[in-house]
Amino acid sequence: MGNNVVAIDNLVKRYGEKVAVDHFSLNIEDGEILGLLGPNGSGKTTTINCLLSLLQYDKGDIKIFNKNMAPDAYDIKSQIGVVMQNVAVIETLNVYENVDFFCGLYIKDKKLRKQYVEEALEFTGLTEYKKYKPKKLSGGLLRRLNIACGIAHKPKLIIFDEPTVAVDPQSRNAILEGIKKMNRDGATIIYTSHYMEEVEELCSRVIIMDHGKNLANGTTNELKSSLMNRETIRVNLPNKSDEIISGLKEINHVYKIKEDGDDLIIKCDGGDHNLVHVLSYLTDNNIPFGHVSTELPTLNDVFLEITGKELRD
Amino acid sequence: MFGRIFVYKFKEIIRNRYMVGWNFLFPIVLATVFYLGFGNMIKDDPDSFHTIEVGYVNTNQAESNFETVLDELTEETDGNEAILSLRKYGSKQEAMDAMNSDEIFGFYMEDGEEIETIVPTNGYNATVMNQIVREYENKKNVIDTIAKDHPENIQSALDMVTENLAIIKEHDFGNNTSPYVQYFFALIAMSSLFSSWISTTILEGICANMTEQGKRFECSPTSKLMAIVAGICAAMIMQAVSNAVVVIYVQKILKISFGAPLVNIIAITTLGSALGVSCGVLMGSLIKNSRLLMVVPLCFTMTCSFFSGLMWHQIRQLIESKAPILNRINPAALLVDCLYTRATYGKTAMYYQDITIMSIMIVVSLFISAILLRRRKYVSL
Repeated sequence: MGNNVVAIDNLVKRYGEKVAVDHFSLNIEDGEILGLLGPNGSGKTTTINCLLSLLQYDKGDIKIFNKNMAPDAYDIKSQIGVVMQNVAVIETLNVYENVDFFCGLYIKDKKLRKQYVEEALEFTGLTEYKKYKPKKLSGGLLRRLNIACGIAHKPKLIIFDEPTVAVDPQSRNAILEGIKKMNRDGATIIYTSHYMEEVEELCSRVIIMDHGKNLANGTTNELKSSLMNRETIRVNLPNKSDEIISGLKEINHVYKIKEDGDDLIIKCDGGDHNLVHVLSYLTDNNIPFGHVSTELPTLNDVFLEITGKELRD
Repeated sequence: MFGRIFVYKFKEIIRNRYMVGWNFLFPIVLATVFYLGFGNMIKDDPDSFHTIEVGYVNTNQAESNFETVLDELTEETDGNEAILSLRKYGSKQEAMDAMNSDEIFGFYMEDGEEIETIVPTNGYNATVMNQIVREYENKKNVIDTIAKDHPENIQSALDMVTENLAIIKEHDFGNNTSPYVQYFFALIAMSSLFSSWISTTILEGICANMTEQGKRFECSPTSKLMAIVAGICAAMIMQAVSNAVVVIYVQKILKISFGAPLVNIIAITTLGSALGVSCGVLMGSLIKNSRLLMVVPLCFTMTCSFFSGLMWHQIRQLIESKAPILNRINPAALLVDCLYTRATYGKTAMYYQDITIMSIMIVVSLFISAILLRRRKYVSL
């Protein structure tokens, strides 16, 4: 870590009156897996398209590997791999030919390319399907082919734009493991997804964007710790009373208690031993209780708190 | 890199069953339908050239250069019918009997010094037979000199006579000018313009604002212009081969003569392929909607082909009399006109005018496309 791989400074992209990316800044260091999160229409894909120099933008600077990114910056482009949101393969070519064609846009040496293509097929588990046309592949295999086409040339920076959409859990797991391996092998990764658990599992750092703005930036733990609710304790309490609830509210860090049938939901804003304190209070006061569980906040909670719960297009 | 992209684009085209269907099979099917519809009318056209049955009597019995010339004229040239069908007789009486019984139209009598042409009536066949003798006698002195001094070159001298006669056949005695042949020319024009669809498909795989494949392509460190040129070359070769197949099918299998050397017809249709491909590139650079990119080339092809005479051969003449400019800007009409002019009148000024206009169209289309496609960043994707 340490070297800046991507530096976006004050990026602005407008579509007419609509501001798609609003003074967005971002730095990604060598070896990071950065999760770029945001609801639909938040500006993730637009930012990536600007980063790849496919889209014109109104303002800002984009540097990759400390060089200005431009459409003809072929030396930079040769080190970037892109796995598109939609499957981008050629229907009339078979699996091997697809990977070979796209890899060949980067690697001229025939022998080296052959080796890379075979490695990419093995990496994505497509070796036995190499003679298949894309139409004959299942959704998961097609996604893996999409990935193989994007990474066969062994890029140093790989952009995954929602690569696991409509993929079954087995394929998704294989894809995530593959991404981790690529990162271990030295690739820096930008990963966009709507699946929070994937991002939580994969990413060393997360940026949450909405309305084209960078709303939060940090590790998953840093983002979770920014939430007011740090722990939720659910206690089955058949004989609950206002007195018991008042007593529980007195416990340090408990800031809210909600009734849910026979259960009490106790929300805490910090502290390391909230469950111990709640259970001590109940036993010390001879209050009978049933099942007890505790939940720590998830990235999904962070995401919803930052971006709101209203439905998006 | 160019070679690889060319090969892959070529593979893409030949594996696309819709393209193969529309560009290879459909023209052949339509040609067959045309043949079944009015093939016999073309073959029986009184204006078209027919091989003449002639007899030959050599009373001198010595080896004759004229006989060699006649033998060569019995061979087909460039897929066209032979000028003569020759039968040899031992005496004048035998030949006369054959002529009277309509086995032959007329015959030549050679006695070593003079060649006599004996025909029952004047007319088209008699003119051809006389023209052959005139042409031979014009070159006779040269041939005799060569035979004497340089016998090793005698074949070249005889070839000179037969080549001249083949040209005389095409220009002076009329080629296959049947109006129905124009349907086949319009068919070839349609086939050529279908290649506009191939070009738009090629562009779709290269331009980021058209498809995801295009986006992936433009993320790579490969020159877009070079890839487009490679794709265009693949499309052009595919279409040129397709046209050549149609031309050969019509001429060799259906036995419909286009009235001009096969090589010449194929060269013109290759220019037509380039025209179709360049029109497609222009469409691809102007239209961004992928559905429209499917529909527009097909509509463009069918409309242009209709006005070039695909459905009614006289429409081109009608347009020529009412609004000739339309025939000058309709690529299909230009191609049909070029083929028809070459087949009927030879390499006339009109023929060269058609070729020039088509070449200008190709250059202008590609130039405008290059300006539109050179853009590397898009306002939206």
